[in-house]
Amino acid sequence: MARPAHPHAMQPSRPGSTRTAPPQMPPRYPMGGRYRNYTLFDATGLVYLLVGFVALRIVWALGSGREAWQSMLNQLENPLYIAFHVLAFVSVVFVAVRFFSLFPKAQPPRIGPAKPPPAPVITAMLYGVWFGITAVMTFVLIGGNL
Amino acid sequence: MSERQKKTFVITRFDPDTDEVPKTESYEIEVEPYWKILDAINYIKDEVDPSLSHRWSCRMAVCGSCGMMVNGEPRLTCKDRLSGYGDTIEISPLSNFPVIRDLVVEMDGFMDKFNQVKPWIIRAKELAAEDGPMRQSPEELEEFKQFSMCINCMLCYSACPVVANEPEFLGPAAIALGHRYNIDSRDEGAAERNEVFRGEGTVFSCSYANECSEVCPKNVDPAAAVNQAKFNAVIDWATGLVISRDGKE
Repeated sequence: MARPAHPHAMQPSRPGSTRTAPPQMPPRYPMGGRYRNYTLFDATGLVYLLVGFVALRIVWALGSGREAWQSMLNQLENPLYIAFHVLAFVSVVFVAVRFFSLFPKAQPPRIGPAKPPPAPVITAMLYGVWFGITAVMTFVLIGGNL
Repeated sequence: MSERQKKTFVITRFDPDTDEVPKTESYEIEVEPYWKILDAINYIKDEVDPSLSHRWSCRMAVCGSCGMMVNGEPRLTCKDRLSGYGDTIEISPLSNFPVIRDLVVEMDGFMDKFNQVKPWIIRAKELAAEDGPMRQSPEELEEFKQFSMCINCMLCYSACPVVANEPEFLGPAAIALGHRYNIDSRDEGAAERNEVFRGEGTVFSCSYANECSEVCPKNVDPAAAVNQAKFNAVIDWATGLVISRDGKE
């Protein structure tokens, strides 16, 4: 059953002479069919907000001395924290894949005299940069020197 | 030759003179295997219930009149074969639009949005007739041709979650049409339209659900147009900070 849309959705600027039934939202919105991916894409914003809070907490612990830092590291081994980070990782991958698939067609046909490269090249560039940065970050985090 | 088959159509009805809210009515009819959904609705109108109201015209996916919700999805009913659906098919008026009667929606709000984007070629100075036609290369035509294929069927508005929630939003088809003129090599009105794009019905309301492109029966890809328009509107705004609109610093 569809929910009501905004009562002024698609209303004419001058009201017509006939009484109308109010507009209804698409019946499958927000979690049915293709809308599910869109809604989940937006919902990952909550995960990133929580990741931000965790990052602030980690920085706070780092500035509060060795004991606080060690305590923070111990807390991060808690299964709940690990599950949260798995969720954050899945969210990042999901958003990246959806964004990378939609990004190429959002490029205008030309910017001044310059034309963007073909869509497959843009997609390849996006994935290339993503994997490249991930590889460098992983290398640094496991203790490698650049 | 396949045989006729029985199908049930659950159709939303609304009479503004007698009904407080829309209701549904079921019609069981025998359909031919080659029928489109519109053929079945026309049959119900002609043979079963003449009080049913719906819009249609060309029957070949050109006029854009027969858009309706079919099993909850915006579809052009003259384009969809009945054989692709089950025994029961739900037909309702396009979502996100006020309903005038049965399957007929109020289109004036849609036309208002179209007018806002100035969908015509704007020239700073008209060319004199003796200068001959303004030429355009096939490459220049190709840049906007896809966006000019819109048949104004309004399916994209019916699928858009932003249209459902933000009445000011210009919406997919209107922005696609404005963008089509902005990137037309003959046009010089991009600055005017970009002001509209950054105004009350801003293109930046679009959250790129991409539903408009998924349901578009003519592969116009309005989501691409809207997001290209966002990009151009930002470039235009940044350029306007440095260069005044009359070309002087």
